[in-house]
Amino acid sequence: MPLLFATAGCRSSDAFAGPDPLSGRPPLSHDVVTLQAIIKAEEALVTLYKTAIAGHFAGAPQASVLGPLLAQHEQHLARLRARLVIPSGASSPASPSASTAPAPSAAPVTTATLRAAEDASATSLVQQLATVQPSLAQLFASIAASDATHAAVLGG
Amino acid sequence: MATAVTAVSALQGALAAEDAAIFGYGVAGAHLSGSHQNAAEQDWTGHNQARDTLTAMITARGAVPAPAQAAYKLPFRVHDEASAMELAAYLEDGVARAYLGLVAVTDKQLRTFGATAMQGPAQRAAYWRGSTQAFPGLVS
Repeated sequence: MPLLFATAGCRSSDAFAGPDPLSGRPPLSHDVVTLQAIIKAEEALVTLYKTAIAGHFAGAPQASVLGPLLAQHEQHLARLRARLVIPSGASSPASPSASTAPAPSAAPVTTATLRAAEDASATSLVQQLATVQPSLAQLFASIAASDATHAAVLGG
Repeated sequence: MATAVTAVSALQGALAAEDAAIFGYGVAGAHLSGSHQNAAEQDWTGHNQARDTLTAMITARGAVPAPAQAAYKLPFRVHDEASAMELAAYLEDGVARAYLGLVAVTDKQLRTFGATAMQGPAQRAAYWRGSTQAFPGLVS
């Protein structure tokens, strides 16, 4: 061991001119990348509902159901974010503080818009669950089923 | 050490849930009327079709589908329309949970099948309960 220290100590800084494997960013796993995309899509759904509730909803008969549906999407978002674990030094994840406030000049949101968004979300989640770890796949499947019930409530 | 869920055991779990739902709708349907009775009949038919599908899938994998029981223990006494609707929601929750078991297997096609198949029971549970859930099949 003393010989090893001596050898290392005698080297000049030139000896470290090669690649530095310690400074690189670790690659994100497939699950993390998939989860980031799902979180982004869920944030967009939350924004859409907030826009509808903020007065841009063009389907008054269903307006009373939007609050509970939004609350469930916020639960989806919280559960998804809780599953996101980013290695130190990796590229930044979808920000947990990303704004989901409604766009001030958003166009009116119709029942058909919301229903299509719910259907699209359910379809996307089912497509993406095949390649992630089992417990994450089950979370995606459960959220997809919830989205399907939302679409039915909205007349799907 | 945890044992991975096998395709056949997950399929058998879904089949058992469908069999229990078929039995349970027979009980619930006797206490329902009008549109609720029509809905229960449709749901009963759907569960029979799902049972046939699962039976074929298990057989195709070289296994023997577990037979249905003659009777199933109900979670509570069913004596009127309200308790019959509550039972229907309970049955659908159980079926959704069983299909979610298929989503944990390694076979990608089965995962997709399970995830798609659980949407029907989730929707029917929402109908009978009168409200949707954030996480059908999972502990909220």
